[in-house]
Amino acid sequence: MNSNILIILIIFTILGLYDFRRFIRKKEPAKVVIVHIIIMALSLAIGLFLAIGKRPISPSQWIERILKMTGVIK
Amino acid sequence: MEKARISSLQLFLLITGFLFGSTLILNPATGAKNDGWLAILIGGAVGTLLLAVYASIALLNPSKTLVEILRDRFGKVIGNIIAILYIWYFIHLASLVFRNFGSFMLTTTYPKTPLEVIIAVFALVVMYAVNSGVEVVGRMSEILVPFVPVIAVIISLGIITVHDFTAFLPVLENGISPIIKASFNLLTFPFGETVVFLMIFPHLNKRENLKKVSTLSALSATGLFLFIFFRDITVLGSHLIYQATFVPHLTSVLIPGINLEPLFNVNLIIGGSIKVVICMYAAVNGLNQLIGANDYRKFTTAVATFCFVLSIWVYENIFEMFDWAENIWPYYSIPFQIVIPLMLLFLSLIKKGNPAHEKSIE
Repeated sequence: MNSNILIILIIFTILGLYDFRRFIRKKEPAKVVIVHIIIMALSLAIGLFLAIGKRPISPSQWIERILKMTGVIK
Repeated sequence: MEKARISSLQLFLLITGFLFGSTLILNPATGAKNDGWLAILIGGAVGTLLLAVYASIALLNPSKTLVEILRDRFGKVIGNIIAILYIWYFIHLASLVFRNFGSFMLTTTYPKTPLEVIIAVFALVVMYAVNSGVEVVGRMSEILVPFVPVIAVIISLGIITVHDFTAFLPVLENGISPIIKASFNLLTFPFGETVVFLMIFPHLNKRENLKKVSTLSALSATGLFLFIFFRDITVLGSHLIYQATFVPHLTSVLIPGINLEPLFNVNLIIGGSIKVVICMYAAVNGLNQLIGANDYRKFTTAVATFCFVLSIWVYENIFEMFDWAENIWPYYSIPFQIVIPLMLLFLSLIKKGNPAHEKSIE
């Protein structure tokens, strides 16, 4: 378990919640709140996987596979 | 769009700082060994042309950001899809710079500090800069970027006694293909990455200076790359320059009796922070325009959190980072840096030649 990542994620979550409180106060449109929640949730989910040592396949590996599949790189 | 304005000088320094960015850590020209200077000249020349293409796109679509240009030229649906891909590209680029910076700091300066902590502290500072707006970043560049060449010169003067001015000879020792490959890598990293400035160009207060400013920035950065390359190769020799992990850093620690390593780190922080701030600003601003919100700052925290996580997630180790930057990144970048911008230029020129066609599309 990587406690550093967890602590940093908690800090970012607090900052995100602070933003979220402002959204509710200013009655922001739903799309803004939804996009904010999706990005934060995705970041926290991946961050948690990294913290517990179960690293999902990274975008770089996906991109490399796609480029190899299409024959762009060997 | 934010109603901020930056001067020509600020834009010049922003582009120069951006180009300098993480090129200090990952210098593609070293792939050509002692012919790296030729790779820099070729890559710099083609990179200057590429920047001129971006400037032309911005001039043909005045006061429009990349997201707006994409929507105008490709239509709303395809334009929005490509805009999402560009936003991803900018976020990905910001994460890669975070990781380069973090890995470098971890390896050379803070070996006992966790990588995540270095990147998180950097991300918090970048978040603050992005929220401050493009004007503040422009003023920051005015203060900080002039230090970059000054520090490079100070380091060079410090090691003037250990130069071997024949180190870059013989010319074309390994043939032309390593030079072509290194030039191409240099074109996509860092010159092609300036496509991100299509989100910044509309903020320039004197639009007529855009082409001049972008060309001058590319030429200045090329000159600085050449200067640093000659310094490094004459000090380290072609064999060591090819094998060393962080070449300019190695040069900076060679000076006898004095430690100039912090100066090198300052250079890196200036270039790296400008690069990552510009990328994140472009990403949040693009997202803001795509969604139709009224202030890009709403997304800064979310995007910074994602960049932080992505920077840890993206590579397993430093070797994967170097391999990816050299072998995958150039090909992955081609559509974003060359294909789509050329299509945009072509479509913008058609529009300019046929205003009636434009009206019928509208």
